[in-house]
Amino acid sequence: MVSSTSEIFQPLFDLFVWLGILVGVVVIAIFLIVIFKYRDRGSKTPEPEDTPILGKVPEERGHPRSVVISLALSIVILTFLLNGTFAVIDTLNTPPSGTLNVQVNGFQWGWKFVYPNNYEDTVLRVPKDETVILKIVSNDVAHSFGVLEYKTKMDALPGRTNTIWFIPKDTGEYNIVCFEFCGVGHAYMKTKLIVMDPAEFQDWYSKVKPAEAEHPVQGASRP
Amino acid sequence: MSEEHHIPPSYSIKRWLFSTNHKDIGSLYIVTSLYFLFVGGALALLVRVQLTVPNNNFIASSAFNQAFTTHGLIMVLWFLSPFAFGFANWIVPLQIGARDLAFPRINALSYWLYLFSGILLLMSSAAGLPDGGWTLYAPLTTLRFTPNLGLSLAAGGLILFIVSITVSSVNFITTILKMRAPGMKLMQMPMFTWTILLTVFMMLYAFPSLLAGTIMLMGDRTLGTMYFGSPQGGSLLWDHLFWFFGHPEVYVVLFPAMGAIGDIIPTFTRRPLYGRKYIIMSFIIVALLSFGVWGHHMFVTGYDPLVAKIFTVTTIAISLPFDIIVIAMIESLVKGKVRLKTPMLFVLGSIALFIVGGITGVFLGSVALDYALRGTYFVVAHFHYVMVGGGVVALFGAFYYWYPKITGKMYDEGLGKAHFVLSVIGFTLLYFPMFMNYEMPRRVVTFTETQWAFTNYLSTIGGFVFGLAQILMLYNFYESSKTGAPAGSNPWNGFTLEWAVPSPPPQNDFDVTPRFSEDGTISLPGLGAFANGGTHTMSTAHAEHGIMESHLSQWPVALAGAAFTLILGILGVTLLPTASFIEGMLYLWILLTGFILGGLGLYGFAKEKFVSFEDEEAEGWPFKHVARVRMGVWVFLASEVILFGTFIGAYIFIRAGTLDWPAINTVFQIQHGAINTFILLTSSFTAVMALVYSKRESKAGVIGSLLLTIFLGLWFLYNKATEWQELFHEGHTFDSGVVMSTYYITTGAHGAHVIGGLAAMTILIGGALKGRHMGEHGSENIHNFGLYWHIVDIIWIFLFPLFYLI
Repeated sequence: MVSSTSEIFQPLFDLFVWLGILVGVVVIAIFLIVIFKYRDRGSKTPEPEDTPILGKVPEERGHPRSVVISLALSIVILTFLLNGTFAVIDTLNTPPSGTLNVQVNGFQWGWKFVYPNNYEDTVLRVPKDETVILKIVSNDVAHSFGVLEYKTKMDALPGRTNTIWFIPKDTGEYNIVCFEFCGVGHAYMKTKLIVMDPAEFQDWYSKVKPAEAEHPVQGASRP
Repeated sequence: MSEEHHIPPSYSIKRWLFSTNHKDIGSLYIVTSLYFLFVGGALALLVRVQLTVPNNNFIASSAFNQAFTTHGLIMVLWFLSPFAFGFANWIVPLQIGARDLAFPRINALSYWLYLFSGILLLMSSAAGLPDGGWTLYAPLTTLRFTPNLGLSLAAGGLILFIVSITVSSVNFITTILKMRAPGMKLMQMPMFTWTILLTVFMMLYAFPSLLAGTIMLMGDRTLGTMYFGSPQGGSLLWDHLFWFFGHPEVYVVLFPAMGAIGDIIPTFTRRPLYGRKYIIMSFIIVALLSFGVWGHHMFVTGYDPLVAKIFTVTTIAISLPFDIIVIAMIESLVKGKVRLKTPMLFVLGSIALFIVGGITGVFLGSVALDYALRGTYFVVAHFHYVMVGGGVVALFGAFYYWYPKITGKMYDEGLGKAHFVLSVIGFTLLYFPMFMNYEMPRRVVTFTETQWAFTNYLSTIGGFVFGLAQILMLYNFYESSKTGAPAGSNPWNGFTLEWAVPSPPPQNDFDVTPRFSEDGTISLPGLGAFANGGTHTMSTAHAEHGIMESHLSQWPVALAGAAFTLILGILGVTLLPTASFIEGMLYLWILLTGFILGGLGLYGFAKEKFVSFEDEEAEGWPFKHVARVRMGVWVFLASEVILFGTFIGAYIFIRAGTLDWPAINTVFQIQHGAINTFILLTSSFTAVMALVYSKRESKAGVIGSLLLTIFLGLWFLYNKATEWQELFHEGHTFDSGVVMSTYYITTGAHGAHVIGGLAAMTILIGGALKGRHMGEHGSENIHNFGLYWHIVDIIWIFLFPLFYLI
């Protein structure tokens, strides 16, 4: 797993997928069997006794038992899923302290990252195994900051500051993408998350100063 | 026109322009919505072609954005609901034994407003189709980021569309609650009628939120108000307004399809629906709960985590009633004689696809998974499984089911089955791979990632198979309408009342009014009960009993045209500052034409003697003793309450985020508001006086009281205008920030309602001068106007303290 967030996502997603496949396959299989078994085979299939006829409102039929059973089964499954959801959502919502805080500015069409020392950059460099807290804002329209491989995202809205956090678990380059449609440059509003070895990161961070941005901040050119 | 006793033939243009018959209007809805289906489908194919391979350059980003935005708007609003309501128009009156809708001219008006709203949307292509996504997320859609006129035209179209939906909903609610065949209980209604009833209720209370949001957006775009351009309102305000409408809207497009399923299954399994009571109860629960789940569309907007948890629970809970519905429908097949004709195939296919759509919906109800899945193709796949699989596919089944009734001809069964097979293959190829792209962002013009290449390639192939399959359906229906075998009145051995009349039904539907007895037997007085098995159908030979007038009216289309012209004129006026002299004169001329046409239309509409079917014995439980128009007014006023509730909600939302709200009596002078409150309350009293005088048959009293009410209304407006002028003078203009935005738009919308009341009173006075509106029965109109006027007053009672006292 590449990050704390993907570690949280994957088991929950797998739970949903497997239970979903189980329910879907069982229900659709029963459905198909019923269709096949009771299909009209001409004179071989007798006309049911309670056939609805024109001029008479059909009789009510159906036993509450089947409703109760299917409801009970669903409630059991959904409770599992809700439990899973609630177990992780509090974790996602409460960042631990003592960490690297970076402000993320979304704009048409690019990202700007502002570090605690006011250094600004268009790629996000973070150290491995350390909690990274992102304060996400937008300069213009609604965007959504997401790291593809990290399975996490948060809207960047003008006038609001939203927070997400994660712990990178592996070094390397990951894809930062905009997940909220924001105009003609939306598809190109991408950049990289670079996870560095902590020592390497410290070295890099101690050398950068607010003035000398590695890449000048500007919008991606219109495609 | 109404003196003519025979309707013009079907090739006459006059018939289609002026008909108010529910079947004609239904056909107009079906044909128009199919046109939009193919426009929306073509746009979707453009999107698919562009996404076939990575790094494709088939169309530019701006064209791509217009294509997917307009595709979404058209499919959800201009295709799906109108398509379903084409059938509702045709079938609901037949199913409940009514001869038309409660307000046939209003029904025609709904259609023409719908058509003109669609024309406005398509007209925007001249200035650039809307390109902000069908969700129209602010502030991208504000003038600053989307300056082109196209979006304003589309928003104008949206407003017309919502007006159409609202009057249509009032019409259907009144029809179903007030005009059922004598003795027909609510629980005896067929499933399709049941779901239409619930659908129109959801429409009536969901669309006002979008209407209010669109009015605010238009205010932002044309007047410079700052609902969505400000941090206090902004994205989140639009999200709330949009999704409060948007989630019920999902069920609005889904319910009619599921109702059709509920009628088609018993017909084709030869057994009554299993657990009908539980299914109806589940539908009611969904309809109510649908207004409490919208927050799951906003899980990653960063709002309160506790609220997100509550929305997770409600969203996951809403799958439970659907669980009951689906299981009951499957159980309905057991021990039946399942005839796999085309309508049934589509219905069964739709249920299977909806199961997949429903299960994946549970994923998106989980706030934790939403951190990963939101904004990806997983969402796109899910809602297409629900809306296309659960909705459109079942409605195609309904089309095959009712086609023989509508045209009197049988379609080609072989082609129908081919259409089904190709549709399912195309659908699966198109949408299933999108689930596997659960990482890929949606609404991107292109992508570089090779891991998404194969799935996108499959989707595009599927898109073409699915699209081409629909041409097969059109061909089948077109050919069969000319060469199909005669269908007879009841080709499927159906049991609901639409199968009791000839195919196609005569103009008056039922020669004699069907009656429901306590035990559920339906009889036709004079013709006896239905013979065993319902082979007995009515013939047109008894036409002398149910003979009807042609019911043509030119006023609905004229009024809709006027509304269309007015919107164009208003948009033109907003362009005046930058327009040349000639252009300016043109815009003003358009606006003037709109006003004149609208005035003439209202006058003609009100003056026309139009007698709609009224059956004294019709079943109207639980509103048996409420007159039909009164019922309509009540229902409509409830939607007005939601509209202003939305404006007030937006005010509260913005005020909660505004620290420097002006102190009392600084910007808004209490005496202005207090005097106007006093005036309006007095006018409520004079409106009651008019009613009292009308019951006493005092013509002078009625006219005097109404004139007094008009005077008070004008005085209110005069004070308002003076106040606005003063505020402008002090520099508090439309664009001076959120405080003034909420003030001008909210009180402006209220003022527009006062003006509407003045227009209604003018018409009433015109009638009173001729001696109408008198006595116990004649006072109905004055009473109904009074209800409207009181609501307008009550709304002011809420607005006064919000702006002046706190």
